[in-house]
Amino acid sequence: MKKIVFICTMCLSFAVSSNGQSPFEQRRLQLLEVASVERERGFQTVTAKLLAGRDREYALTMLDSLTSDEAIGGMFYSYSLIGCYLHTRVVLPDSLRKKVRSAYRNRTMYRGDTENHWVTYYTGLYLAAQTWPHQDGTEWFNGKSSSENFQESTEWLNHWIRMSARIGQGEFDSPTYISVFITPMLVLYDFAQDPQMKRKAQMMLDLLFADFAVEHLKGNYAGGHSRDYPEDIVNPLAAPSTFWAWLYFGEPEFAPWSEARFRPRHRGAWEPLFGAVSSYRLPDIIYRIATDRTKPYVQTKTKRVRNIIRFGAEKNPPVFKYTYMTRHYALGSLQGGILQPIQQHTWDVTYASGKPYNTLFTLHPFFSGKELAMFFPEEQKFLSDEVDRYHKVYTNPNKWNSSSPYEQTFQHKNALIVLYNIEQGAIHPHIDGFFPKNLEQRVVDKSGWIFCKAGDTYMAFFPLKPYEWIEEEINWRWRSHELKNGAVVEIGSSTADVSFDRFRKKVSASIPLFKNFEENLTVQYTTRMGDRMKFTFGGERVLNGKHVDFARYRFFDGPYLQSEYKSGIITMLYKGSKRVLDFNEVSITE
Amino acid sequence: MRNHLLASALVVASVFPATVSFARQSTVYASVLSTRLFVVGAPNPSTGLFFQNPPDDTLWRHSGRNNIRAFGLAVHAPSRGQLIYIASGNGAHRTTDGGASWKISTGWNITEVLGVAIDPKNPNNVYLCTAYGMFKTTDGGEHWREMNGGLSARFVSSIVIDHSNSDIVFCSTEDGVYRSDAGGRDWKRTGLNVGGVRILTQHPQLSEILFAGTENHGIFITRNGGTSWEKIEAGLDHQTFYTIAFDPGKPDTMYAGGFATGVYKSVDGGKNWKRTSNGLTNLNVHSIAVNPTNGNQVYAATMWSGIFRSDNAGDTWRNAGLDGSQVWTITIQPF
Repeated sequence: MKKIVFICTMCLSFAVSSNGQSPFEQRRLQLLEVASVERERGFQTVTAKLLAGRDREYALTMLDSLTSDEAIGGMFYSYSLIGCYLHTRVVLPDSLRKKVRSAYRNRTMYRGDTENHWVTYYTGLYLAAQTWPHQDGTEWFNGKSSSENFQESTEWLNHWIRMSARIGQGEFDSPTYISVFITPMLVLYDFAQDPQMKRKAQMMLDLLFADFAVEHLKGNYAGGHSRDYPEDIVNPLAAPSTFWAWLYFGEPEFAPWSEARFRPRHRGAWEPLFGAVSSYRLPDIIYRIATDRTKPYVQTKTKRVRNIIRFGAEKNPPVFKYTYMTRHYALGSLQGGILQPIQQHTWDVTYASGKPYNTLFTLHPFFSGKELAMFFPEEQKFLSDEVDRYHKVYTNPNKWNSSSPYEQTFQHKNALIVLYNIEQGAIHPHIDGFFPKNLEQRVVDKSGWIFCKAGDTYMAFFPLKPYEWIEEEINWRWRSHELKNGAVVEIGSSTADVSFDRFRKKVSASIPLFKNFEENLTVQYTTRMGDRMKFTFGGERVLNGKHVDFARYRFFDGPYLQSEYKSGIITMLYKGSKRVLDFNEVSITE
Repeated sequence: MRNHLLASALVVASVFPATVSFARQSTVYASVLSTRLFVVGAPNPSTGLFFQNPPDDTLWRHSGRNNIRAFGLAVHAPSRGQLIYIASGNGAHRTTDGGASWKISTGWNITEVLGVAIDPKNPNNVYLCTAYGMFKTTDGGEHWREMNGGLSARFVSSIVIDHSNSDIVFCSTEDGVYRSDAGGRDWKRTGLNVGGVRILTQHPQLSEILFAGTENHGIFITRNGGTSWEKIEAGLDHQTFYTIAFDPGKPDTMYAGGFATGVYKSVDGGKNWKRTSNGLTNLNVHSIAVNPTNGNQVYAATMWSGIFRSDNAGDTWRNAGLDGSQVWTITIQPF
């Protein structure tokens, strides 16, 4: 065990190519090159142009316009502006430096109401207060002095880091919002002058990437997600997380901007540029964990529900995650229920594929003002309409993201039971399943199983109740209108089952038992490997005769990432290597 | 078209400097939580604190920071508007110079501030109600203390400081109405046994009389400082109320509004109510204020349609600006 010297954490243990550059270095420079010729206005593209010495006048004009438009402000603006400024200030003219400074006086840097809002707000404020110290409140948008702002930012960042390393994030494992946690931590790591804060930023980056790595499959962020947009849920490789995977994990092999079908939309698209210009280097052990899928494994995690401000007994109840990773696919789930409003993604199977829409899942499209009012302070009778204005699909019966109090799961390795108990009178009284059209096979077997094949991944889906197929542009929508409902899912692969036909034969020999389901809401299923699962909605999860107790979940548990709940100590393991993040001591050991 | 009107109104408002003196005969203050165009982190039209000086003044001028998710507000009348607090998502914004300068007086641990009340007898004592409980300062906002002892629900939506004895404070929560006889310490639940109380209002002269507007349970009255409450039924066809207002000069005249209610009016101290919404094109009313110097002039703040004004004690209404805005609170000060 040796203490790392942090200044020297250039962990370039990736293979070095013939031109002497590591693959990461090549990708980093490639990204810098592409972003430096991008015409889109943004702090990352300005940074790229100025650091690459390209389009300097255009870059300065963009920055001038970004600092002149007083309608722009807020938390995303704040951390991006200070990041751009600190990376490029040596090449900025005095006039622009003054404009950047005045932005923190003249604009509202609204703090927001989500975890990512606060991380971006306080990172921006911390670095701005550090950059312009000893100034009184008249020089700042919030009327506080530099020292007051610095102290408040320090306190909150410490609070967030302490909580995230012990009970988890509320906005956990989000393929979209991961960008607005990684990017501010990169900027904080690069520019915090306090060695303790710099080290904490590095440890949070390690934690965020390790958290992603254990559920990473060829560029996909697998497993359940606290928050994501429907477009990314049905097309996982189009999510912003794919860009980070490409830069740091080298997967997928294509560059995200080069493939129209996967190209990220504007949201989160160029944030990884701050990674390309950062001095942070991903520890080799995380890279290995992210890319080695030679052996299947189970990873469990404990996370937390976003702050509940009313209609709940507990502020941050735990979330229990279960993900089964293989080289061909990942099956992952949250326990179900309302864990995050609006954008929850409770379960799916995501498979490695060169094609888009490489996923299959079900949901109940729930919405309610009361659900939103659990988390937002505005009037509950207006919240659904307000959320619909910017999330567009919240009240839509066809939406592909949703939390629901009527949905619960029980997963064991490659098998999952998902049950629904929809209240009489519920607004959208149906459940939907996403089946991509580009599956190689989708066969309804006389046994009741629906079998699907996508490359090396074989999927079996057993609906408990009658259903219909609705053809849509990219998918078949599987829809069932029964209120007491559910499905059993079992996944196989060419590695585990040799062939699709053998998989079908094995699975179709096992029919789920759900006698008197209307009364007992109980399903029993024996997997093709012989494991016996029994699940009652609102009741027990039983595996091979033993009660499954969520209370025994660790913070992280799996072969590569381990931690006891609330310990603040996170251990990464890979073959003979080990890396320990000790948030109590603010230290990293290997 | 609506968005265009909103943008025009706000552009007009924004050409005025934020340091305009509030000192006139009476000043109407409105806190705008949001507009139909609002998106977090995006370029946004102005929200926050607006004010105007009726009757001739038809413009709404803006003061303080834009886009702060402004909920409640409190103006310290004896200071003639020099001391104002805005309860906002960012914390409590405070000015001590009539809007020339503003400071967020709270730190990271106070957020989602829904309401604020200044002790009229000692403006150093200020209460905040938030989604996370009650807070109090006794030094004019320099330091804040959590004051949740005895509260069973932390989501607090309004505060009343008893005008006859400022040690007595009431607050409305998701678990009924609470009362403290010790300046915010040791809260005790009053006799109102319904969840989701959205607003509390005290009679301007008779301090033992308070009205409570609730989510889904109508309006209640207590005549003994909270010991017992009775539901008011006469004339009320709706159940969710966000605002109850007195005509300060004629307290038997009252107004109430809420979800899809329009404006209700009572002329017998709240015993009987009648709807009076002629000209009110949005029936979701979140706040009502009566001009203390002219009881005929009544303002109704709506969800998403800005502010409506009546010059005949509620008989007819017309839009008075800030169209497209979700106006959380409106108050009128007689100076």
